[in-house]
Amino acid sequence: MSLIRRLVFGTNPRRTVVRVLVLAAISFVIFRFVLIPIRTEGSSMLPTYGPDQLRLVNLFAYRWSVPARGDIVAIEMAGPHVLYVKRVIGLPGERVSVMEGAVRINGNPLAEPYVKHRNAWDVPEVTLGPAEYFVIGDNRGMSVADHDFGRVDLPRILGKVVF
Amino acid sequence: MPRRTVVFITVLAVLTAGAWYVLRSGDEGAPIRRRLQQFVDDVNRGATDSRSPETRAAHFGSYFTDDVEIDLGRGATLIKGRDTLVAMTGRLQPRIAAFSIRFEDIAVTVASGGQSADVHLTAEFVNRKAPGERSLDAREFTIDMRREGEEWRMRRVAAVETLK
Repeated sequence: MSLIRRLVFGTNPRRTVVRVLVLAAISFVIFRFVLIPIRTEGSSMLPTYGPDQLRLVNLFAYRWSVPARGDIVAIEMAGPHVLYVKRVIGLPGERVSVMEGAVRINGNPLAEPYVKHRNAWDVPEVTLGPAEYFVIGDNRGMSVADHDFGRVDLPRILGKVVF
Repeated sequence: MPRRTVVFITVLAVLTAGAWYVLRSGDEGAPIRRRLQQFVDDVNRGATDSRSPETRAAHFGSYFTDDVEIDLGRGATLIKGRDTLVAMTGRLQPRIAAFSIRFEDIAVTVASGGQSADVHLTAEFVNRKAPGERSLDAREFTIDMRREGEEWRMRRVAAVETLK
């Protein structure tokens, strides 16, 4: 057996083929049904996430629990191929507002160490429904008109962005 | 190759082809998906072909019913009628040519009778001039489609507020 063939297929080609197939099957299952890879676009999550970065979404993160404040989540639009990536700041039943750029939950200021740039946004108070979360990007230095944020229903939250 | 392997591969190929045929032939939404893809291809071709602006505008209008309504959501004016839409498109042509669109996650529900259908999709707007064709924006839409003769046309297009 030539050196190249031996390096590629090993000393037992049949076993190598089986290993490759098993590895491919495991990778397919993991990256299709458990941790889906996404490529980030846009600047709304700066500085935490910038454009053109590869991230993974854990689809099982909320199977047995619910999103927590501070989680970065992937939100479905019409399906799983184009997603919003936002941070959860408001939980069901809470009152959320933004005054002079500072988020308030039930009237109390929310500490947000991940926000590095902040414009004087003003967002009127909203009360979240029993299955609603308030999501927003970390980049508050951009114009409020250019930033998509707001209430989202739990079924739209596809998973948690983990890496 | 052992005979057993040949039989196994043959059976697998036949089953795969059969499953593909059954799934494809049962997809009532296929003509609508094709129609939407034609629309996307036409929009993305922009002003690069040899057609006159009038011919292009008339062709663009053929994707919509006479009484089409376009609701782009909060803050946008409702666009009513094919003529209004075609006139607006003509005026916005240079700006439209700067980006292309893609439809993703297209879900089609054909109503009983096969004369109308509801479509739910995400439209992605891509900057043609940016390196790597960078996505500018994405919006979720519902589209009410009607069958007029042999053609499917858009009767109502409405933006969905994913984040309320």
